[in-house]
Amino acid sequence: MKNNIAELRKKSKITQQKLADEVKVTRQTIISLEFGRYNPSLELAYKITKALKQKHIEDVFDLKSIEI
Amino acid sequence: MTQKHINKKNSVWRYSLATILIIAGIILSYLNIGTEFLGFPSVGSWLIYVGFIMLAIVTLQLMSNKKRIVDERMQFVATKAARITFIGIILFAFVIMVIDGIKPINIAYSYFMSYLICGIILLYLVSYKILLRFN
Repeated sequence: MKNNIAELRKKSKITQQKLADEVKVTRQTIISLEFGRYNPSLELAYKITKALKQKHIEDVFDLKSIEI
Repeated sequence: MTQKHINKKNSVWRYSLATILIIAGIILSYLNIGTEFLGFPSVGSWLIYVGFIMLAIVTLQLMSNKKRIVDERMQFVATKAARITFIGIILFAFVIMVIDGIKPINIAYSYFMSYLICGIILLYLVSYKILLRFN
């Protein structure tokens, strides 16, 4: 699943470590998410959306890229 | 339940297990049960040794204040590593059966089990570390 965590994070001037601390995961998990190697759970996706001050999950994660 | 409470509960369990091992070791040594075992003069002395090592590890873990985060990706990777280890055990058992059919393996059961357990732990750790890097 594609996402724009990196862009939104840079726009908000938040470091990977700060975002990781905010959503209670490791920095490596944020790196994996940014590279699209790992798909987060719904709970983590909500937390990241909130931490990046976005209204909807779709603003952060590209749900169209998921094959159904 | 907070992480601190979970750690405390785990430590109590580990301390209890270590104490049981030491007591069992003392009883076995006192009753002279079990001969030479894994380089130790008796099973009892080996159990006492393992018990004390366990006590030391748990105490060191309790003393270190390092904050550990276990997130969902780590749990996901741990499940994958466990699956790989399980498949590894099955493959290893098959290979052992084939080798034993060709040429009978003569090794003490205690040695075999200790090698097997060390191998399982090593395989799990290696696969966990590799998966953690690439997932």
